[in-house]
Amino acid sequence: MALVSLFAALIAVFGLIPKIDLPLGVPITLQTLGVMLAGCLLGPKRALQALMLFLAAVAIGLPLLSGGRGGVGVFFSPASGYLIGWPVGAWVTGMVMHLLPRATPRGAAISAFLASAVGGLLVVHVFGVVGLVNIANLSWEQAIMGTLVFVPGDLIKCVLCATVVHTVARGLPDWRLGG
Amino acid sequence: MGSLYSDHPTWLHGVPAGVKLAFLALLGTGVFYTHALAVLLASTACCVLIFASLGRATLRAKPLLMGLVLASVLIGLFHLYMQQPWVGAVSVLRLLCTALMGMALTLTTRYNDLLRVLEWLLAPLRVLGVQPERLSMQVALMLRFTEHFFVVWRRLDDAHRLRTGKAGGFKILAPLTLHMLMAARRVADTLHVRYRR
Repeated sequence: MALVSLFAALIAVFGLIPKIDLPLGVPITLQTLGVMLAGCLLGPKRALQALMLFLAAVAIGLPLLSGGRGGVGVFFSPASGYLIGWPVGAWVTGMVMHLLPRATPRGAAISAFLASAVGGLLVVHVFGVVGLVNIANLSWEQAIMGTLVFVPGDLIKCVLCATVVHTVARGLPDWRLGG
Repeated sequence: MGSLYSDHPTWLHGVPAGVKLAFLALLGTGVFYTHALAVLLASTACCVLIFASLGRATLRAKPLLMGLVLASVLIGLFHLYMQQPWVGAVSVLRLLCTALMGMALTLTTRYNDLLRVLEWLLAPLRVLGVQPERLSMQVALMLRFTEHFFVVWRRLDDAHRLRTGKAGGFKILAPLTLHMLMAARRVADTLHVRYRR
Protein backbone atom coordinates (compact mmCIF):
# COMPACT_ATOMS: atom_id res chain seq x y z
CA MET A 1 0.00 0.00 0.00
CA ALA A 2 2.86 2.38 0.90
CA LEU A 3 4.65 1.71 -2.38
CA VAL A 4 1.51 2.35 -4.38
CA SER A 5 0.85 5.68 -2.61
CA LEU A 6 4.47 6.80 -2.74
CA PHE A 7 4.79 6.02 -6.43
CA ALA A 8 1.59 7.92 -7.14
CA ALA A 9 3.23 10.80 -5.22
CA LEU A 10 6.36 10.55 -7.36
CA ILE A 11 4.23 10.82 -10.52
CA ALA A 12 2.59 13.91 -9.00
CA VAL A 13 6.05 15.42 -8.32
CA PHE A 14 6.97 14.86 -11.98
CA GLY A 15 3.89 16.94 -12.78
CA LEU A 16 5.37 19.93 -10.93
CA ILE A 17 7.99 20.19 -13.66
CA PRO A 18 6.66 22.60 -16.33
CA LYS A 19 4.90 21.04 -19.35
CA ILE A 20 5.30 21.94 -23.04
CA ASP A 21 2.04 22.39 -24.99
CA LEU A 22 1.88 21.00 -28.52
CA PRO A 23 -0.78 21.56 -31.21
CA LEU A 24 -4.05 19.56 -30.74
CA GLY A 25 -4.07 20.55 -27.05
CA VAL A 26 -1.90 17.63 -25.86
CA PRO A 27 1.02 18.53 -23.52
CA ILE A 28 4.49 16.88 -23.28
CA THR A 29 5.10 16.06 -19.60
CA LEU A 30 7.57 14.10 -17.50
CA GLN A 31 4.67 12.18 -15.96
CA THR A 32 4.82 9.46 -18.64
CA LEU A 33 8.28 8.69 -17.25
CA GLY A 34 6.49 7.94 -13.98
CA VAL A 35 4.28 5.45 -15.84
CA MET A 36 7.38 3.67 -17.19
CA LEU A 37 9.19 3.71 -13.83
CA ALA A 38 6.12 2.39 -12.00
CA GLY A 39 5.94 -0.63 -14.30
CA CYS A 40 9.68 -1.35 -14.13
CA LEU A 41 10.10 -0.87 -10.38
CA LEU A 42 6.78 -2.03 -8.94
CA GLY A 43 5.64 -4.80 -11.27
CA PRO A 44 2.34 -4.98 -13.16
CA LYS A 45 -0.18 -5.20 -10.30
CA ARG A 46 1.17 -2.44 -8.06
CA ALA A 47 2.00 -0.21 -11.03
CA LEU A 48 -1.61 -0.48 -12.17
CA GLN A 49 -2.80 0.35 -8.63
CA ALA A 50 -0.43 3.34 -8.38
CA LEU A 51 -1.69 4.82 -11.65
CA MET A 52 -5.34 4.12 -10.76
CA LEU A 53 -4.81 5.88 -7.42
CA PHE A 54 -3.14 8.83 -9.15
CA LEU A 55 -6.00 9.17 -11.66
CA ALA A 56 -8.60 8.81 -8.88
CA ALA A 57 -6.89 11.69 -7.05
CA VAL A 58 -6.96 13.74 -10.28
CA ALA A 59 -10.64 12.90 -10.80
CA ILE A 60 -11.61 14.14 -7.33
CA GLY A 61 -10.15 17.54 -8.19
CA LEU A 62 -6.56 17.53 -6.98
CA PRO A 63 -4.34 19.57 -9.34
CA LEU A 64 -1.78 16.81 -9.81
CA LEU A 65 -1.38 16.80 -13.59
CA SER A 66 1.37 18.96 -15.03
CA GLY A 67 0.42 22.62 -15.21
CA GLY A 68 -1.81 22.21 -12.13
CA ARG A 69 -4.60 20.50 -14.08
CA GLY A 70 -7.09 18.25 -12.35
CA GLY A 71 -10.77 17.39 -11.99
CA VAL A 72 -13.16 15.28 -14.01
CA GLY A 73 -12.96 17.72 -16.94
CA VAL A 74 -9.49 16.50 -17.96
CA PHE A 75 -10.99 13.10 -18.78
CA PHE A 76 -12.99 14.76 -21.57
CA SER A 77 -10.04 16.66 -23.07
CA PRO A 78 -8.19 15.58 -26.26
CA ALA A 79 -5.42 14.15 -24.03
CA SER A 80 -7.82 11.90 -22.10
CA GLY A 81 -6.90 8.84 -24.18
CA TYR A 82 -3.33 9.15 -22.97
CA LEU A 83 -4.50 9.49 -19.33
CA ILE A 84 -6.69 6.39 -19.58
CA GLY A 85 -3.77 4.59 -21.25
CA TRP A 86 -1.43 5.30 -18.31
CA PRO A 87 -2.64 2.49 -15.97
CA VAL A 88 -2.74 -0.02 -18.85
CA GLY A 89 0.69 1.14 -20.06
CA ALA A 90 2.14 0.78 -16.55
CA TRP A 91 0.64 -2.72 -16.27
CA VAL A 92 2.07 -3.79 -19.66
CA THR A 93 5.48 -2.26 -18.77
CA GLY A 94 5.47 -4.27 -15.54
CA MET A 95 4.45 -7.47 -17.35
CA VAL A 96 7.18 -7.10 -20.00
CA MET A 97 9.77 -6.21 -17.33
CA HIS A 98 8.68 -9.27 -15.33
CA LEU A 99 9.21 -11.53 -18.35
CA LEU A 100 12.60 -10.14 -19.42
CA PRO A 101 15.96 -10.94 -17.75
CA ARG A 102 16.91 -8.55 -14.94
CA ALA A 103 19.60 -10.39 -12.98
CA THR A 104 22.38 -7.86 -13.65
CA PRO A 105 22.11 -4.04 -13.59
CA ARG A 106 22.96 -3.88 -17.29
CA GLY A 107 20.43 -6.57 -18.20
CA ALA A 108 17.80 -4.84 -16.05
CA ALA A 109 18.48 -1.51 -17.80
CA ILE A 110 18.09 -3.07 -21.28
CA SER A 111 14.91 -4.85 -20.15
CA ALA A 112 13.61 -1.58 -18.68
CA PHE A 113 14.21 0.22 -21.98
CA LEU A 114 12.31 -2.46 -23.92
CA ALA A 115 9.51 -2.71 -21.35
CA SER A 116 8.98 1.07 -21.24
CA ALA A 117 9.06 1.27 -25.04
CA VAL A 118 6.29 -1.34 -25.26
CA GLY A 119 4.15 -0.28 -22.27
CA GLY A 120 4.93 3.38 -21.64
CA LEU A 121 5.26 4.34 -25.28
CA LEU A 122 3.37 1.96 -27.60
CA VAL A 123 0.39 1.13 -25.37
CA VAL A 124 -0.07 4.71 -24.10
CA HIS A 125 0.08 6.05 -27.66
CA VAL A 126 -2.49 3.51 -28.88
CA PHE A 127 -4.89 4.78 -26.20
CA GLY A 128 -3.92 8.37 -27.03
CA VAL A 129 -4.72 7.86 -30.71
CA VAL A 130 -8.11 6.33 -29.84
CA GLY A 131 -8.78 9.40 -27.65
CA LEU A 132 -7.79 11.83 -30.40
CA VAL A 133 -10.02 9.99 -32.90
CA ASN A 134 -13.02 10.02 -30.56
CA ILE A 135 -12.68 13.41 -28.86
CA ALA A 136 -10.87 15.61 -31.39
CA ASN A 137 -12.66 13.76 -34.25
CA LEU A 138 -9.44 13.23 -36.18
CA SER A 139 -9.08 10.45 -38.74
CA TRP A 140 -6.85 7.51 -37.73
CA GLU A 141 -4.08 8.72 -40.06
CA GLN A 142 -4.22 12.28 -38.67
CA ALA A 143 -4.22 11.03 -35.08
CA ILE A 144 -1.26 8.73 -35.71
CA MET A 145 0.65 11.57 -37.38
CA GLY A 146 -0.25 13.81 -34.41
CA THR A 147 0.97 11.32 -31.82
CA LEU A 148 4.25 10.70 -33.67
CA VAL A 149 5.37 14.17 -32.52
CA PHE A 150 5.73 12.75 -28.99
CA VAL A 151 7.69 9.64 -29.92
CA PRO A 152 11.23 11.15 -29.91
CA GLY A 153 10.60 12.70 -26.47
CA ASP A 154 9.16 9.43 -25.18
CA LEU A 155 12.16 7.49 -26.47
CA ILE A 156 14.37 9.81 -24.40
CA LYS A 157 12.13 9.01 -21.41
CA CYS A 158 12.68 5.27 -22.09
CA VAL A 159 16.45 5.89 -21.92
CA LEU A 160 16.00 7.88 -18.68
CA CYS A 161 13.88 5.06 -17.26
CA ALA A 162 16.59 2.52 -18.14
CA THR A 163 19.22 4.75 -16.47
CA VAL A 164 17.17 5.02 -13.28
CA VAL A 165 16.53 1.26 -13.24
CA HIS A 166 20.29 0.69 -13.69
CA THR A 167 21.00 2.94 -10.68
CA VAL A 168 18.34 1.22 -8.58
CA ALA A 169 19.70 -2.23 -9.53
CA ARG A 170 23.13 -1.13 -8.34
CA GLY A 171 22.05 0.93 -5.32
CA LEU A 172 19.34 -1.44 -4.02
CA PRO A 173 20.40 -4.91 -5.26
CA ASP A 174 17.65 -6.63 -3.24
CA TRP A 175 14.88 -4.58 -4.88
CA ARG A 176 12.59 -6.87 -6.92
CA LEU A 177 12.48 -5.13 -10.28
CA GLY A 178 9.33 -5.89 -12.25
CA GLY A 179 7.56 -7.10 -9.08
CA MET B 1 -1.65 20.51 -1.52
CA GLY B 2 -4.92 22.39 -2.14
CA SER B 3 -7.72 21.02 -4.30
CA LEU B 4 -9.37 22.99 -7.10
CA TYR B 5 -12.52 23.28 -4.93
CA SER B 6 -13.81 26.83 -4.52
CA ASP B 7 -15.04 28.00 -1.09
CA HIS B 8 -17.13 30.75 -2.70
CA PRO B 9 -20.71 29.48 -2.15
CA THR B 10 -22.89 28.78 -5.21
CA TRP B 11 -26.21 27.02 -5.81
CA LEU B 12 -24.31 23.97 -7.15
CA HIS B 13 -22.50 23.47 -3.82
CA GLY B 14 -25.79 22.27 -2.32
CA VAL B 15 -26.35 19.52 -4.91
CA PRO B 16 -25.08 16.11 -3.68
CA ALA B 17 -21.80 14.89 -5.24
CA GLY B 18 -23.40 11.64 -6.48
CA VAL B 19 -26.13 13.55 -8.34
CA LYS B 20 -23.55 15.82 -10.01
CA LEU B 21 -21.40 12.84 -11.03
CA ALA B 22 -24.42 10.98 -12.42
CA PHE B 23 -25.44 14.08 -14.41
CA LEU B 24 -21.92 14.40 -15.80
CA ALA B 25 -21.83 10.72 -16.77
CA LEU B 26 -25.21 11.04 -18.55
CA LEU B 27 -24.21 14.28 -20.27
CA GLY B 28 -20.86 12.84 -21.38
CA THR B 29 -22.56 9.75 -22.84
CA GLY B 30 -25.31 11.82 -24.46
CA VAL B 31 -23.08 14.31 -26.27
CA PHE B 32 -20.81 11.56 -27.57
CA TYR B 33 -23.79 9.68 -29.06
CA THR B 34 -25.35 12.64 -30.85
CA HIS B 35 -24.07 14.27 -34.04
CA ALA B 36 -26.93 16.79 -34.30
CA LEU B 37 -25.39 20.25 -34.29
CA ALA B 38 -28.58 21.87 -32.95
CA VAL B 39 -28.66 19.53 -29.93
CA LEU B 40 -24.96 20.09 -29.25
CA LEU B 41 -25.36 23.87 -29.57
CA ALA B 42 -28.28 23.84 -27.12
CA SER B 43 -26.37 21.60 -24.68
CA THR B 44 -23.28 23.80 -24.85
CA ALA B 45 -25.36 26.94 -24.31
CA CYS B 46 -26.90 25.32 -21.20
CA CYS B 47 -23.46 24.24 -19.93
CA VAL B 48 -22.02 27.74 -20.48
CA LEU B 49 -24.98 29.25 -18.59
CA ILE B 50 -24.61 26.78 -15.70
CA PHE B 51 -20.86 27.46 -15.52
CA ALA B 52 -21.36 31.24 -15.73
CA SER B 53 -24.00 31.07 -12.97
CA LEU B 54 -21.23 29.97 -10.57
CA GLY B 55 -19.90 33.54 -10.68
CA ARG B 56 -16.73 34.23 -8.69
CA ALA B 57 -16.23 30.53 -7.94
CA THR B 58 -15.07 30.07 -11.54
CA LEU B 59 -12.04 32.35 -11.00
CA ARG B 60 -10.17 29.39 -9.52
CA ALA B 61 -10.57 27.52 -12.80
CA LYS B 62 -9.10 30.32 -14.92
CA PRO B 63 -5.93 28.41 -15.95
CA LEU B 64 -8.02 25.31 -16.76
CA LEU B 65 -10.44 27.47 -18.75
CA MET B 66 -7.56 28.98 -20.74
CA GLY B 67 -6.32 25.47 -21.56
CA LEU B 68 -9.82 24.45 -22.65
CA VAL B 69 -10.18 27.51 -24.89
CA LEU B 70 -6.73 26.85 -26.40
CA ALA B 71 -7.55 23.18 -27.10
CA SER B 72 -10.93 24.15 -28.61
CA VAL B 73 -9.38 26.81 -30.87
CA LEU B 74 -6.63 24.41 -32.03
CA ILE B 75 -9.10 21.61 -32.78
CA GLY B 76 -11.43 24.04 -34.58
CA LEU B 77 -8.62 25.54 -36.67
CA PHE B 78 -7.27 22.09 -37.51
CA HIS B 79 -10.63 20.92 -38.84
CA LEU B 80 -11.14 24.19 -40.72
CA TYR B 81 -7.74 23.66 -42.35
CA MET B 82 -8.79 20.11 -43.25
CA GLN B 83 -12.03 21.58 -44.74
CA GLN B 84 -14.23 19.75 -42.22
CA PRO B 85 -15.90 22.66 -40.39
CA TRP B 86 -18.91 20.56 -39.34
CA VAL B 87 -16.70 17.90 -37.73
CA GLY B 88 -14.70 20.68 -36.04
CA ALA B 89 -17.86 22.30 -34.64
CA VAL B 90 -19.16 18.97 -33.28
CA SER B 91 -15.79 18.18 -31.63
CA VAL B 92 -15.42 21.62 -30.05
CA LEU B 93 -19.02 21.67 -28.75
CA ARG B 94 -18.66 18.20 -27.21
CA LEU B 95 -15.38 19.22 -25.59
CA LEU B 96 -16.81 22.48 -24.20
CA CYS B 97 -19.92 20.75 -22.88
CA THR B 98 -18.19 17.98 -20.96
CA ALA B 99 -15.10 19.90 -19.83
CA LEU B 100 -17.16 22.85 -18.49
CA MET B 101 -19.42 20.53 -16.50
CA GLY B 102 -16.37 18.60 -15.25
CA MET B 103 -14.87 21.88 -14.04
CA ALA B 104 -18.18 22.91 -12.45
CA LEU B 105 -18.23 19.60 -10.55
CA THR B 106 -14.64 20.04 -9.38
CA LEU B 107 -15.16 23.65 -8.30
CA THR B 108 -18.29 22.93 -6.27
CA THR B 109 -17.59 19.54 -4.69
CA ARG B 110 -15.22 18.88 -1.77
CA TYR B 111 -12.78 16.07 -2.53
CA ASN B 112 -13.90 14.19 0.57
CA ASP B 113 -17.44 14.05 -0.85
CA LEU B 114 -16.16 12.77 -4.20
CA LEU B 115 -13.98 10.26 -2.36
CA ARG B 116 -17.05 8.95 -0.53
CA VAL B 117 -18.87 8.53 -3.88
CA LEU B 118 -15.83 6.72 -5.32
CA GLU B 119 -15.71 4.41 -2.29
CA TRP B 120 -19.43 3.71 -2.72
CA LEU B 121 -18.92 2.96 -6.43
CA LEU B 122 -16.01 0.63 -5.61
CA ALA B 123 -17.95 -1.19 -2.87
CA PRO B 124 -19.22 -3.99 -5.20
CA LEU B 125 -15.56 -4.83 -5.94
CA ARG B 126 -15.16 -5.93 -2.31
CA VAL B 127 -15.97 -9.48 -3.46
CA LEU B 128 -12.80 -9.31 -5.61
CA GLY B 129 -10.67 -8.33 -2.61
CA VAL B 130 -10.69 -4.55 -3.25
CA GLN B 131 -10.91 -2.53 -0.01
CA PRO B 132 -12.54 0.82 -0.90
CA GLU B 133 -11.90 2.28 2.57
CA ARG B 134 -8.17 2.14 1.81
CA LEU B 135 -8.65 4.70 -0.94
CA SER B 136 -8.90 7.70 1.40
CA MET B 137 -5.82 6.61 3.35
CA GLN B 138 -3.86 6.10 0.15
CA VAL B 139 -4.86 9.53 -1.18
CA ALA B 140 -3.80 11.09 2.14
CA LEU B 141 -0.44 9.25 2.05
CA MET B 142 0.07 10.27 -1.55
CA LEU B 143 -0.57 13.96 -0.84
CA ARG B 144 1.74 13.91 2.18
CA PHE B 145 4.53 12.38 0.11
CA THR B 146 4.02 14.60 -2.92
CA GLU B 147 5.06 17.56 -0.77
CA HIS B 148 7.86 15.55 0.85
CA PHE B 149 9.34 14.41 -2.48
CA PHE B 150 9.11 17.89 -3.92
CA VAL B 151 11.19 19.15 -0.98
CA VAL B 152 13.68 16.29 -1.54
CA TRP B 153 13.84 17.19 -5.26
CA ARG B 154 14.60 20.82 -4.37
CA ARG B 155 17.30 19.76 -1.86
CA LEU B 156 18.97 17.45 -4.40
CA ASP B 157 18.80 20.21 -7.01
CA ASP B 158 20.36 22.74 -4.60
CA ALA B 159 23.13 20.29 -3.70
CA HIS B 160 23.85 19.65 -7.39
CA ARG B 161 23.85 23.38 -8.08
CA LEU B 162 26.36 23.96 -5.27
CA ARG B 163 28.65 21.24 -6.58
CA THR B 164 28.50 22.05 -10.29
CA GLY B 165 26.96 25.51 -10.63
CA LYS B 166 24.21 24.06 -12.87
CA ALA B 167 20.64 22.86 -12.26
CA GLY B 168 20.31 19.13 -11.54
CA GLY B 169 17.69 18.41 -14.20
CA PHE B 170 17.41 14.74 -15.14
CA LYS B 171 20.64 13.91 -13.29
CA ILE B 172 18.86 13.97 -9.92
CA LEU B 173 16.11 11.65 -11.13
CA ALA B 174 17.93 8.45 -10.09
CA PRO B 175 18.87 9.67 -6.56
CA LEU B 176 15.30 10.93 -6.09
CA THR B 177 13.90 7.52 -7.07
CA LEU B 178 16.34 5.72 -4.74
CA HIS B 179 15.34 8.04 -1.91
CA MET B 180 11.68 7.38 -2.67
CA LEU B 181 12.09 3.59 -2.71
CA MET B 182 13.94 3.63 0.63
CA ALA B 183 11.27 5.90 2.13
CA ALA B 184 8.60 3.52 0.78
CA ARG B 185 10.25 0.60 2.60
CA ARG B 186 10.31 2.50 5.89
CA VAL B 187 6.67 3.58 5.52
CA ALA B 188 5.61 0.05 4.51
CA ASP B 189 7.31 -1.39 7.61
CA THR B 190 5.64 1.20 9.85
CA LEU B 191 2.21 0.54 8.32
CA HIS B 192 2.70 -3.18 8.65
CA VAL B 193 3.57 -2.88 12.33
CA ARG B 194 0.75 -0.38 12.99
CA TYR B 195 -2.08 -1.80 10.89
CA ARG B 196 -0.89 -5.31 9.87
CA ARG B 197 -1.31 -4.46 6.13
